[in-house]
Amino acid sequence: MTSGGRHSTRHALIALVLAASFICAATAAEDAAWGIEQLMQDLAQIKTARARFVERKYLAMLNAPLDSSGTLVYTAPGRLEKYTRLPKPELLVLDQDKLTIEYRDRGQRRTLALQDYPVIWAFVESIRSTLAGDLPTLNRFYRASLAGSEAQWRLSLKPADPKTQSMVKEILIGGARNRVRTIEITEAEGDRSVMTITEEAP
Amino acid sequence: MTITRPSHLALAVWAAAILACVLVIARTEFTADMSAFLPRAPTPVQRILVQQLRDGVVSRLILIAIEGAAPPLLAQTSRRMAAELRQLPDEFAAITNGEATTLDRDREFLWRNRYVLSPAVTTGHFSGAALRAALEEDLQLLGSPAGVLLGKILPRDPTGELLRLVGQFEGQARPAVRDGVWFAQDGGRALLVAQTRAAGYDIDAQERALALIRRAFANASDGRASTGQTLLLSGPGVFAVNSRARIKADALRFSVIATALVSTLLLTLYRSPRVLLLGLLPVASGALAGVAAVSLGFGAVHGITLGFGVTLIGEAVDYAIYLFTQVTPGTPPADSLSRIWPTLRLGLLTSVCGFGAMLLSGFPGLAQLGLFSIAGLIAAVLVTRFILPALLPPGFIVRAATGLASKVTALAHSARVLRYPVILATVAAIIILGAQREALWSDELATLSPIAASERTLDEQLRRDIGAPDVRHLVVVDAASEDAALAGSEQISARLQVSIERGHMEGFESAALYLPSAPTQRARQAAIPEPAVLRESLQAAQRGLPFRAGLFEPFLSDAQAAKSQATLTRASLQGTALALKVDSLLAKRDDEDAATTTWTAMLPLRGVTDATGIARDLASTPDNRVTLVDLKRESDALYQTYRREVMTYSLLGAIAIVLLLLASLRSVRRVLVVLAPLAAAVIITFCILASSSNPLSIFHLVGLLLVVAIGSNYALFFERRAANAGERERTLVSLLFANITTLIGFGLLAFSKVPLLHALGSTVGIGAFLSLAFSAVLIARPPGPAMSPA
Repeated sequence: MTSGGRHSTRHALIALVLAASFICAATAAEDAAWGIEQLMQDLAQIKTARARFVERKYLAMLNAPLDSSGTLVYTAPGRLEKYTRLPKPELLVLDQDKLTIEYRDRGQRRTLALQDYPVIWAFVESIRSTLAGDLPTLNRFYRASLAGSEAQWRLSLKPADPKTQSMVKEILIGGARNRVRTIEITEAEGDRSVMTITEEAP
Repeated sequence: MTITRPSHLALAVWAAAILACVLVIARTEFTADMSAFLPRAPTPVQRILVQQLRDGVVSRLILIAIEGAAPPLLAQTSRRMAAELRQLPDEFAAITNGEATTLDRDREFLWRNRYVLSPAVTTGHFSGAALRAALEEDLQLLGSPAGVLLGKILPRDPTGELLRLVGQFEGQARPAVRDGVWFAQDGGRALLVAQTRAAGYDIDAQERALALIRRAFANASDGRASTGQTLLLSGPGVFAVNSRARIKADALRFSVIATALVSTLLLTLYRSPRVLLLGLLPVASGALAGVAAVSLGFGAVHGITLGFGVTLIGEAVDYAIYLFTQVTPGTPPADSLSRIWPTLRLGLLTSVCGFGAMLLSGFPGLAQLGLFSIAGLIAAVLVTRFILPALLPPGFIVRAATGLASKVTALAHSARVLRYPVILATVAAIIILGAQREALWSDELATLSPIAASERTLDEQLRRDIGAPDVRHLVVVDAASEDAALAGSEQISARLQVSIERGHMEGFESAALYLPSAPTQRARQAAIPEPAVLRESLQAAQRGLPFRAGLFEPFLSDAQAAKSQATLTRASLQGTALALKVDSLLAKRDDEDAATTTWTAMLPLRGVTDATGIARDLASTPDNRVTLVDLKRESDALYQTYRREVMTYSLLGAIAIVLLLLASLRSVRRVLVVLAPLAAAVIITFCILASSSNPLSIFHLVGLLLVVAIGSNYALFFERRAANAGERERTLVSLLFANITTLIGFGLLAFSKVPLLHALGSTVGIGAFLSLAFSAVLIARPPGPAMSPA
């Protein structure tokens, strides 16, 4: 697949989830032992994915919600691109241990080393590790619990590290088979964001 | 010349002199400071170099790595070690291992002082339009994953000064972090950096610090020895401690072995323990005199000079051999002495000329060696001349000399057939050397370093792991005060930004980033508008944006606090890792000549691709106290200057020797006869070394000087007319034994791993042997009554 999209939206994290959901149009084995291990294995099948996202953020600092939309591109195992198109173009690339944010209209570009920002790291890892089906990494940052069925599941991630806990309360990832459909993030002080992901027409 | 009987007076003078030497030595400081092998009168830039090497922050850093276990275990050991070492603030100024504690303190400092630290704070930075643009960016950032962090700081920092400051430091290389501490990229090694309180040249203190680190490691990894964790240490202090230990060990070992071998040989020769001890008297007196002279002349004695003392065994023991072996039956020792004294004296003077060249060297290390040798040899000769004859048992003669004499003489005689081969070999050697010319010599200062190659490799690895910059290029700014040096750095930073934009380099570091000069801090404070003005601009900027009313009240109060905050000084940085940075980039120097203090700011450059381009960009700076330094080129240039200098002094020494011989022998032909074997020996030795241990260093050159000093004795004795055949034979035997002892002394040194000792040992070993052999081959002197040179 190609990453031709120059569009943009908000959360790269969400994009990752999205990507995972598309690709494998899940020939889901109706396994009786379906659980988090099986879900992770299924998600790991997806090598590349591309999807549109719509995100709405409710922030205490603002008196109106913040909307954004764009495209997400995921390439297994570690690369996630989030092209935000509205309200302003922005490109976010997560690759291995680096996060790059680019504002093309302003000609600005910043690269963060994730190890310097443990909270952001934990944050992006919730989505990347989920998309990659990387349970060990997920367990390093979160206490994960799974609810629902294979056809409609909900993965709850609660930060393990006190510092991240002070920022993020819970990340809820919803999906069907090996596709991610929604990502809902609740921050410790009540800010909340919901991202809906839809597979892009091929 | 008349020889006075050795008197009680001479003995008393000697005893007093020895006592004086011992007293001086007892108060002597022994060093292994490698900067003794750096220039004495360098350029200002080189002076900074040397000072940094001696006691700069860089010299105080010990790089520590722990490896051999899984990362979590290594991380735990790292944390425990750091905790233990941090309990020792008298020994360690800082222990850094990437733990969040110091990092938090750094961020806290940047956060609290963001308005005086940020270069963006200039007039207009807080205008309505500028604030509007900043707020729009904030809105966008809130939508990104970084938004989760922004929540806390946005109400206090809507213009993003903290992000700007952090971004400024981001490009700089740092170690990776794993399990909360520094690790090498591959996760195989946990890394720590210790900064000692003591300077790098204080080797005793460095040794203590290393012992504490090892103990902390043992405690930290206690009970998990089975995990096989190992500790790796590197850094200037480690090198100094190891070098000293190695030099000490080599000097001691080779002294002991050489003394044992030489003593055994001489005991066989003299068959009298008493005479053996007497024979060592000139050596011991010479060594004491040498150390005392260096101590008085230089204030301290270098370890390498001491190591060199071993070589004195090889040369000074010769004097006693010449005397004892040439005592003829039935005549008092004093008479034998008066016979050989003129030759002995001339030999000594020749040696002094040779070593005098070293004394003039700008290399304090070499000058020490020169002084040591001159003082030592003079003392040894004086003891031989005035003390030994009186103490020799009555009727003592060397019987072995009589037994060996005829064989040695026959051998010396038949050596003459090798005349033409030797001349041919010399010519061939000259041609070979001529063809190699400049390629013969090493041009790198590193060849003088006593640091083993394995240590250097480890150091490079750890430096890469820790992400220490490759400090090859730096800009140096001199100023009269700390603040002026910081202000100078700020001006240069602007020029360097131009160089970055032109692609001449990637970046640079500067102390002024962490500690701006006072005028700059005040200018930034002045750029913050008055409260009412700022509030009004902010309200205008916020119009139409979804920010909650009153959200930026904390920003307004922080900005006002910053406007009136006290000026930051070096003390404000205390407790942060930034203090370490500032200290390593900003150095105070007390000039010895003038009673002035100079502050030097150093700006290490990163990713330099076009040094000449940078130099051009800097050239438009009006200030002439700014220099662009290429450390590698600088240190190599320094070394080449030295080599040329040593070369020049060696030539001067050689000329002095020729003049001395001319004055004493009063015959050009005799001088030529004496010099021919010496010259042939030096040339062929040179050629052998050049083809076996390329490239040659200054130390090989010094070794050749020593060959001249020792070999001249051989040639002079060979050339001397003997009163009769018996005396001639005794002379030859004495030369043979003198040569063997020299070979023992220097030959052993060739096995040393210390480059200096190895170079000297191999050069003198080969050279001394060839000098004697060539004297036998080239000097035809049939025995017969004639005048001794007088």
